[in-house]
Amino acid sequence: MRSLSRTRAAAVSACAVAVLAAGASACSNNSPGNSAGSSSGGGTLTIQGDAGNPTLVENFNPLSSAELGGTRLIYAPLETVSSVNGGYTPFLATGYKFTSPTTLVYTIRQGVQWSDGTPLTPADVVFTFDLLKKHTALDANGIWSQVTAVSAAGSNVTFTFKAPDVPFAATIAQTPIVPKHIWSTVANPVTFTNTHPVGDGPFMLGSFAPTQYTLTKNTKYWGASKIAPSSVVFPAQSTSQSTNQLDVSSGQFDWAYQFLPDIQRTYVNRDPATNHYWFPPGGTIGLYLNLTQAPYNNVNFRQGISLALNRATIAKKAVNGYMPAASTSGIILPNEQQWLSPSLPDQGMVSQNIPAAMAAFAKAGYKLSGGKLVGPNGTQATMTIVQPNNFTDWVAAATEISTELGKVGIKVSLDEPQYAQYSQTTQSGTFNAAMGGFGGTGIPYNDYNLALNSTYAAPVHTPTANNFERYSNPAVNQALATLAATTSPSAEKQATDRLETMMYQNLPIVLLYYGGSWGIFSTKHFTGWPSASDPYTLPTPYNYALLTVVTHLVKA
Amino acid sequence: MGYILRKVVLFIITLWAAITLVFILPRLMPGSPVDAALGKLASAGVPITNAERAAIEAQLGAPHTSLLAQYGDYWNSIATLRFGTSYSFPSQTVAHTIGVALPWTVFLVGTTTVLAFIIGTLLGVYAGWHRAKLADSSVTIGATFFGAFPPFWLGLLLLYWLSFKYGWFPIKGGYDPGTTPNWSLSFVGDALYHSVLPGLTLAITTLSGWVFGMRNNMINTLGEDYVTFAEANGLRSRTVAMLYAARNALLPNVTAFGLALGALIGGTVLVEGVYSYPGVGNLLYLAVTNHDFPLMQALFLVITLSMLVAIFIVDLLYVRLDPRVRSST
Amino acid sequence: MSIIATPVPPPEAPGAAARVPSGHASAVPGPLRFIGRALRTLWSNGKARAGLIILGIIILVAIFAPVLAPHSPAATTFTPYLGSSGTNWLGTTGNGQDVFSQLIYGARVSLIVGLCAGALATLVAATFGLISGYRPGLVDEVLSFVTNLALVVPGLPLMIVLTAYIQGHSVWTIVLVVAFTSWATGARVIRSQVKTLRAREFVTSAVFSGERLFRVAFREILPNMTSLVAASFFAAATAAVLAEASLEFLGLGDPATVSWGTILYAAQQQNALLTGQWLMVLAPGLAIVLLMVSFTLINFGIDALSNPRLREK
Repeated sequence: MRSLSRTRAAAVSACAVAVLAAGASACSNNSPGNSAGSSSGGGTLTIQGDAGNPTLVENFNPLSSAELGGTRLIYAPLETVSSVNGGYTPFLATGYKFTSPTTLVYTIRQGVQWSDGTPLTPADVVFTFDLLKKHTALDANGIWSQVTAVSAAGSNVTFTFKAPDVPFAATIAQTPIVPKHIWSTVANPVTFTNTHPVGDGPFMLGSFAPTQYTLTKNTKYWGASKIAPSSVVFPAQSTSQSTNQLDVSSGQFDWAYQFLPDIQRTYVNRDPATNHYWFPPGGTIGLYLNLTQAPYNNVNFRQGISLALNRATIAKKAVNGYMPAASTSGIILPNEQQWLSPSLPDQGMVSQNIPAAMAAFAKAGYKLSGGKLVGPNGTQATMTIVQPNNFTDWVAAATEISTELGKVGIKVSLDEPQYAQYSQTTQSGTFNAAMGGFGGTGIPYNDYNLALNSTYAAPVHTPTANNFERYSNPAVNQALATLAATTSPSAEKQATDRLETMMYQNLPIVLLYYGGSWGIFSTKHFTGWPSASDPYTLPTPYNYALLTVVTHLVKA
Repeated sequence: MGYILRKVVLFIITLWAAITLVFILPRLMPGSPVDAALGKLASAGVPITNAERAAIEAQLGAPHTSLLAQYGDYWNSIATLRFGTSYSFPSQTVAHTIGVALPWTVFLVGTTTVLAFIIGTLLGVYAGWHRAKLADSSVTIGATFFGAFPPFWLGLLLLYWLSFKYGWFPIKGGYDPGTTPNWSLSFVGDALYHSVLPGLTLAITTLSGWVFGMRNNMINTLGEDYVTFAEANGLRSRTVAMLYAARNALLPNVTAFGLALGALIGGTVLVEGVYSYPGVGNLLYLAVTNHDFPLMQALFLVITLSMLVAIFIVDLLYVRLDPRVRSST
Repeated sequence: MSIIATPVPPPEAPGAAARVPSGHASAVPGPLRFIGRALRTLWSNGKARAGLIILGIIILVAIFAPVLAPHSPAATTFTPYLGSSGTNWLGTTGNGQDVFSQLIYGARVSLIVGLCAGALATLVAATFGLISGYRPGLVDEVLSFVTNLALVVPGLPLMIVLTAYIQGHSVWTIVLVVAFTSWATGARVIRSQVKTLRAREFVTSAVFSGERLFRVAFREILPNMTSLVAASFFAAATAAVLAEASLEFLGLGDPATVSWGTILYAAQQQNALLTGQWLMVLAPGLAIVLLMVSFTLINFGIDALSNPRLREK
């Protein structure tokens, strides 16, 4: 039931969304909705909405973390960034460039109006970022940990960085912009619920009820003619996963994000002409080993574990066969194929090889004796794997891992607390091993930086959400620094190749399988959904992919 | 009178202890509200980064203060009947959040309990009167069987067959999506329609307690001398059953009523979960999983208070029902 | 224990208080003779006989699970998400385990939790109830106070909090948590019965004849309450079976443990109803129902044993 079942099953919790920048200096010229044809359309788009707990709380504050998902159709950011490949789609901005590795200039679109008719100016953009500076509680993406100043000149807004951080353009791009003439009088923007939102996006609030809200088309939106739906309805989800699955299966949504078992039978076959799904990988799930503890800090021991695991079986058990085993390079295939280092054997895939695993364990000083893998001090290797009890795919994967490692003589036990305890144990560094998500931002720098940069490796007992396995490698830091500072595609590729190789060889995280992104669509009313043949963004309605997709739709 | 006074004093001390216990309990749970909030975001697909953690810490603030200060705040929030601000619903006072959910649970639990009480008691009278006959056996065995159904399990089965498969009832919620609660005839009808399955689930699984209680009381009362005497004096058996036996046997069942009502509110957690019903049971589970201290405290308090008051009333009633208790205390 | 009212006669029914000790109360029979007589009397009651038979079958299934189960309950060797077939009578889980074998092994956990938690809760309840009922005044006030407190804190949420607090979720965690949260009702019932008995002539006369208080409590009062204690035990065991299933259904159990509750949890997680594996939901639920029914039926017999008016003709 409820949040006990993970609403976003296997969504790769770490599937970062806000951040990324592929060809950092290149800006896509794709105008949103340019494939939307000429039809100004009509009709209602129904999207599986937020989880009601048990009812929805009216909150359209785009800067809070408690806002309703539809807020992202009311407040458009400068640009949206695809989590598949880091591609940009411009909205409020027409483009950006780095005048130096620490100076980013965004050009704001001319002639844009707020939904109340007031013109939108660069001053609104500067106001929004200043608001984040004033209220740390709103700065969930840590803008002001990187930026030192934001200023406007003409139609340009200039961001000055503390240190070179080219990929950070994506984080800035996806910050919602709010109108100064309204928000300057808001007493406390952190708790403000903004029940009469005035935004710059393609939709406005139509009506709100405790279990459903409706957005209607904003005729003042600069690209309004290309927006197909005349209204968007968001019925609240239940907190019970199985109820949501029944809901989705019954076919009442145009777009839902839901793990469904045996989807061909439980969804597609119910109306094969219009019922479709696209389950691309959205991140990588791996086994995090605590690198402050022996023997996990021994790379040979980690190699042994990696070789002892049958990733295909783990993937099959964990995600119902929807997702394949992952490349241990940290690159998500096929999404990020263009980044994959050609020097990696077999695309960085590792297959089970027990003799090789035993050889690696032997190098670490561990030998099989009477069915037990015994270390130099004569005791059996043990491991407790922790994962949140409601992340069922992680639980299933850990169960299979414990079986497989048991066969090479490691005594594995599982610990399945509620998320809060999982979070505390992992972030404070007091765990042995933990299931966790890696990557998924669509931008390799952000994936590797958050997971491997030693500046995040806090001492044990000091919580850190990034690099909680506490990896420290100067060569990795060096490659990350290069990647952060360069705007040259070839230098970028080289540095990424180095990171992939280090990931593959040193196994700071034993990557296992891809976490799915469970996009379920109906083409009854609208077409233009992201798909394997047109993977313009992930099918995730809970971040700015919502805006990208909805502005991409065409009336069926 | 001394008995009553002592009960009142005891009630007040119990109240204090319960309120304090309710404060301590949530803080026993491992992991902080910040960790729980990260979990909520992680489940919603938000990347978990240090920046996110810092923002949440800035938002929640409170738990960094000392336990004693939190205890003071807690009493203050009780005294003002606002119960502070919940982490899950930062824009509302907890009192408001609970105020929205409580009527649904009171309605659901109230009606089903009254219904189960009436049907169960009637069945109990029937079985008791026809004791040791086929009617008695079928009623008691039937009630035993249905009473053993785990409510969440029955809920799942009913939900799947009646709602999903045949579409006779809605899959989730307390009312049609898109409507706002009001007192119009159509809304009330809709709400009733949505409450049929959760109500049925609760009623079926709680019926047996009333049946057994009433049946046994009936049999005991029928064995009393005055009933035998009345029957021997030529009163018709139906009159005896209704006027003498049932009326006297009913009293203990009534005292159990108060206790059951309080317990049921705590027990609707799973049923409300299965049917996504917008009541406090659902809210309570949410509060527990989110480590939402203010919300959890207030909900525990509401439930605990209702139980406490029920027991207090039962205690007082008991004195009237059984004089032996009064004299021996 | 406040999960949902359990099929037990409501507490404090004066009818129960009116149960008369069968005259020669001070003549305590030998324990074996007593148990033998109790079983005979139970067996003579049709409902109790049915309960004993069902419980006996479940116990046999639990003991001989390795013989009866066609496969290992943990082996993940089958194709996941299978419906009912000749090999897998009840289908397979998402991990490729045989549900039927799990159902058979699951009897062990449900029985252990039911009986152990029931016994533990009854032990606490009897101790509290006996002392509290027999020692009016401060002792009673304090114990009643603790009992009332335990009674008013909502049960299932309390269990959820406690389960989260205790690290490492084994079956014994659940036993402890369930016992800890479900003794209060029994204590209250026993206390009020003791209070009533205390006022009876045979106890009063024992006290007047100079017997020590606790001797009176344990020699004179307890034997007259065997049926009530037994009833409390089966009521607590019934509640424990349900509580265990509920906690595991919520995903708070040890997922490596095979029990009826974890099968239901797995079924819920893989939405077995949606994929047509309804047997995976129906079977473990019915098993839980049968175990609870057997306890309740036995309780009917105990009622009859102690209360001649309830005895079947």
